[in-house]
Amino acid sequence: MKTIKGLTRRAGLALAASVAALPMLGISGEAQAASVPVRGGKMIFGRYADSLFLDPVLNDANVDIWVMTNLYDTLLQPTADGAGVQPGLATKWALEDGGKKLVLTLREGVKFADGTPMEASDVKWSLDRARNPKLGPWGDLVGSITDVAITNPSTITLTLKTPDPTLLAALATFNTAILPQKLFEAAAGATDEEKAKAFAEKPVGTGPFRLSEWKREVSMKLVRNPHYWKMGADGKALPYLDELEFQIVKDDSTRLLKLKAGELHGTELVPLTRVKELQADPQIRMELWPSTRVVYLSMNNRPKLKDGSANPLSNVKVRQALNYAVNKDAMIAIVTQGQGVPMTSYMSRTTPLYVKQDLYKVDVAKAKALLAEAGFAQGFETSAMLVSGNQDQLNIATAVQQMWAAVGVKLKLEPLDNASLTKRYRAEDFAMRTSAWTNDIADPGQITSYFAYFPNIGSLHTGFQNDRIDALYKASLEEIDPAKRAAQYREIQEVYAAQAPILFLFETPYAVAFRKNAEGFVQIPLGNNLFEAAYVTK
Amino acid sequence: MNRGTWLLGRLAQIVPSFLLIGVVVFVLARLLPGDPVSAVLGDRASDATIARLTAQLGLDRSIFAQFVGFLSGILRGQLGDSIAYRVPVTRLIGERLPATLLLTGFAMVLAIVIAVPLAFVAALREDRWPDLLIRGVFQVGLSTPVFYVGLLLLTGLAARARLFPVGGYGEGWLEHLWYLFLPALTLAFSFAAILMRSLRSSILLVLTAEFVDFARSKGLPPRQILGRHVLRNALIATVTLVGLHVGSLLGGAVITESVFAVPGVGRLMVDSIFARDYPVIQALTLVLAVLVSLAFLVTEIVQMWLDPRVGR
Repeated sequence: MKTIKGLTRRAGLALAASVAALPMLGISGEAQAASVPVRGGKMIFGRYADSLFLDPVLNDANVDIWVMTNLYDTLLQPTADGAGVQPGLATKWALEDGGKKLVLTLREGVKFADGTPMEASDVKWSLDRARNPKLGPWGDLVGSITDVAITNPSTITLTLKTPDPTLLAALATFNTAILPQKLFEAAAGATDEEKAKAFAEKPVGTGPFRLSEWKREVSMKLVRNPHYWKMGADGKALPYLDELEFQIVKDDSTRLLKLKAGELHGTELVPLTRVKELQADPQIRMELWPSTRVVYLSMNNRPKLKDGSANPLSNVKVRQALNYAVNKDAMIAIVTQGQGVPMTSYMSRTTPLYVKQDLYKVDVAKAKALLAEAGFAQGFETSAMLVSGNQDQLNIATAVQQMWAAVGVKLKLEPLDNASLTKRYRAEDFAMRTSAWTNDIADPGQITSYFAYFPNIGSLHTGFQNDRIDALYKASLEEIDPAKRAAQYREIQEVYAAQAPILFLFETPYAVAFRKNAEGFVQIPLGNNLFEAAYVTK
Repeated sequence: MNRGTWLLGRLAQIVPSFLLIGVVVFVLARLLPGDPVSAVLGDRASDATIARLTAQLGLDRSIFAQFVGFLSGILRGQLGDSIAYRVPVTRLIGERLPATLLLTGFAMVLAIVIAVPLAFVAALREDRWPDLLIRGVFQVGLSTPVFYVGLLLLTGLAARARLFPVGGYGEGWLEHLWYLFLPALTLAFSFAAILMRSLRSSILLVLTAEFVDFARSKGLPPRQILGRHVLRNALIATVTLVGLHVGSLLGGAVITESVFAVPGVGRLMVDSIFARDYPVIQALTLVLAVLVSLAFLVTEIVQMWLDPRVGR
């Protein structure tokens, strides 16, 4: 990667190390910059949906999270492989007091996009806001912090309730981005939420770009932040682009037509069924970035369903049988035309502390035997909710339906609109549902707290409860010995795999397509779209 | 009854119908299963987060209290903030309405420009090859789904031939018209088919009327007979049809706007329904109701002008 040359040495090394690890899924794109970066110009990128609310703390959607890194920076930043952290607005960090204090050294000379210098007070204020449990859904990610202190103008000291192994990852997560306190507080409104609304209309951060114009649902124009601190391959400040325009084109076919007609330089969320077609197009470069996205069916594990009927899925043998009855490779071929890999744990391969599990290689005979042992030799009938109009979910559900028919299990499909489905799911009124997950933080803790740890949201509302997993997870929250924590997560993944509370399916990459003259884009496994080193030739 | 009183009476009828529409949409939105908070926060949010946002949005109040708030808001000209976008509904709709109006207006003009001359050709050559050809082509137009026509035009005229932009809205009026040509044509296609058929049969009917025979026997030139007598009389039914179709054109705009990436209210309405974004659904329904009512009113006024018997 040529683009890393000019980064600060530490950042450059970290990035190089992580990029080398990129093709881990065997599905990495041809994303390596093939030419010398060009400065100036404009890139037009087609998005499937507009952002809703560009406040790091109060937002709650990927459409915000995935573009915010172009506007704001965090103290630490995720590495390109999503597994580690590298310097961001902080250049050094050190744990003290047995892991109960973190001392961060702030980068010198950082300015916000409006030219005002970033000060330690901005950092303290931003972190205090991020950890305020009354503001937004992400406070828990930095819930271990009890105090943020300005030790001197370039040093911040965090005091922790207990040692927190996820803290570094949390300081590289969008919600801890540093905002200009004075500008935010000068925004119109009385409450934090009102001020955030006003501020997020024209956000100012230390990121590579500044928002210059936002027509909701139409376009978002970002212009170069002339004060950005990161250096490009030519030894001058990034970003390369003068302007970055996001155009909102919701219809997949239209977005791809616009790309092919040259009206867009690139576009995201290419339907996986169209990847091969675009790979064959000489003007297009298909990039498949490793993601943290796992696609699965969650099952209700409770003895009885909401309507009072007995639930065969509460029997672990039934759940294992259903897993054995599904051919994941065939599923991947059907649903994604081969653009995916089977799940080998409930967490993606890109998640730190992931351990490969032997997850139910298709074995119809074994599935039948397990069903017979469970007392369902003749099979049974069950149902799965899916979002109506979602072609992928329909393909998944019908494929599962056919595969299970071979072992006598009859699956009824219940297509629902998303709001109705969510309502029933939250009320735990379901047998199964199709679903997908992406991590927000480079740590196994978040996905585990949702998938496997009962006290959070009842293990994805499945009702699955395993005391051993719950105990291991709780212990892992304060375990700062990496080896011990890894062992805890190994065991959690083993127990979870054996208990099979969900139907394990597959992982998919992020499919992003660019015209050949647009290069340098990076999407990390957490989903962040990085345009800081993107450029357009010709 | 004179026409001024008639107009006032018509306007007075609109007010209670808005009130009724307001009540219906308010109740319907809340009858949909699911709620805006879980739609916004998804299935991972904790119950506490859900409860907090519900209270913040005032959705924990009784339906009646919410309705009173909604009504008093309307009277004060405040339609509230969108739950999903967190910006005032009036701004959200104000930004998008022009595109939809331009699109439907453009489509209507195109449909009329296409349908009227062809209807004459078809009627005057009844059951001969021009008539059969025109009717055949429009039959296909009528039975092809809008999104499919749209995709065909996009792929053929925009992506391949590069005659038009693939999608979007452009900047400034000229570009707007340029960008909206294909979507308007798509939208106009099936509507033109209906118009053409209706106008063709009206013309045929009028052509057999006694006053046309009379005009002919007076020795009026055919152009004048067609232009003044036939067209004007045949148009009465067609104008009614155009007026009645404003609603379905706005409905068709939903699909065309999606396919052609036009930033109109159609797509906003669909998205808001899926997100259970009550304030947007309510306000947008009222705005569309105003538009359709106005279209009906204009239709009646035009009818009155074409046919002096109407409104007496």
